[in-house]
Amino acid sequence: MDAHKILIAVDGSENSRRSIDYVSDILRGCGQYTIKLLSVEHLPDRDFFADDAAWKKACAQKRETLLSFLSDGKQMLTEQGISENMIHTDYIENCHSPLPGEPGYCSRGTSIALDILHKAKEEGFGTVVIGRRGVSKAEEFVFGSVSNRIIHSGSNCTIWVVQ
Amino acid sequence: MSESVRQILDRLQPDAYRGRLGKVYTDTSDFMRITGGDVIALDQQHYLVLRDEVERSYGIEDPKYWVKRCRHLESGERRLLKLVFHEKFTLQMGELKILCYRSPRKEARILDLVRKDSRFMQGFSAEDEKGNNIRVLDIIKGKRLDNWIYALDVDHKTYFQAYLPEILQKFIVSCQAIQYLHARGEKHGDIRRDHLWVEHGSGDYVWIDFDYTFDFHENPFGLDIFGLGGLLLYIVGKGFYSPKEIDHMYGSDKDGPHIKQEDFLLVFKNRLTNLQKIFPYIPENLNRVLMHFSSGTRVYYESLDEFIHELRPCLKNLA
Repeated sequence: MDAHKILIAVDGSENSRRSIDYVSDILRGCGQYTIKLLSVEHLPDRDFFADDAAWKKACAQKRETLLSFLSDGKQMLTEQGISENMIHTDYIENCHSPLPGEPGYCSRGTSIALDILHKAKEEGFGTVVIGRRGVSKAEEFVFGSVSNRIIHSGSNCTIWVVQ
Repeated sequence: MSESVRQILDRLQPDAYRGRLGKVYTDTSDFMRITGGDVIALDQQHYLVLRDEVERSYGIEDPKYWVKRCRHLESGERRLLKLVFHEKFTLQMGELKILCYRSPRKEARILDLVRKDSRFMQGFSAEDEKGNNIRVLDIIKGKRLDNWIYALDVDHKTYFQAYLPEILQKFIVSCQAIQYLHARGEKHGDIRRDHLWVEHGSGDYVWIDFDYTFDFHENPFGLDIFGLGGLLLYIVGKGFYSPKEIDHMYGSDKDGPHIKQEDFLLVFKNRLTNLQKIFPYIPENLNRVLMHFSSGTRVYYESLDEFIHELRPCLKNLA
């Protein structure tokens, strides 16, 4: 694992924005790093919609929002003085997406945390950064928590949790 | 020309009592208009609407206008018809707010998945002429499990010794039924006390109502697991125990149990989870399973496999 390779997992939330801010604060003027902003596509379930058309529309909107956030995130980092050639973006599509996609690894939608860790392992990222909004015990039990699962399941990498 | 309700009844049920003679519906989109005396024609079968289904809770009747109690005129048997009602609403569970959806599509899929499985309500789905997905359900002849347990006129110790072993055994079968859904990527979605019924005659436990769904991407089955934990608590305790009820049980007895906040349920904080404190004969392993749903727990069940694995050995200590 390469400690100079940093994976920032983002989902378009304020917590993600804080993670990007934090990394740019830490790394400004620190020499050569590789930073990847990663978003895992989590689409609304088909069961929530009356028909395919409404579902596809919602999926397309969600994808557009996340891709736009990745682009904004890259800009946030460059504006803080991090060289553009150090920054990459990546988007893991959902395997069940009705939208056209790229071949390759896709998210089955059962755990975003495990998708992030898969990417970190596959590409040798030594640091994984994740935002956290802070959930209650009850919320963690019932809803689950991406950051907690990354903490519990992550291995061979350093995990930064930004709250 | 299509048949009228009178003609359909003359042909299929000539001797049956007739009240209002309404309209024949082949399009059920406007379900509020469909009422007693109308006939829903679906896949060349005819269902005479008797009335809207009603859900009773705390003495209040809540009509479910999209669910019709019907008589299947070809067989004379009663059926429930669930018409399409896409609903999105927030379910409040203690401090949690959960965005839920009502999905006819999901329920139809599960009905297909559990066909001839007596652990689940039975039925099938069919589309009306406008493509609405209607679920035609057999009516369960029986009683809600919680009401059945509540009606047992015995004290807790007698209940615990005489009834709980069999109830727990059957409850584990019901948990395995949900495990079967999870293994196929499906969830029940609305596990609560009034959705598990005891069938008259066989005494089998039967799950009903699978049309709720929700979006928990990191823990898709969490709500089902928590629902089963709540149900287990009710079953073991023969009811729920709030701080007020516990005070009432012990009065000013200074030797009463020392109960802390972490002894209560994680989500509904007024339900005692540490039942061993008021019923000391509850075995340690069974109480430990319950305590995984308490405010004090540090370890949660992440799957039903874990839950059932720990619950099954508890039967031995009850026998």
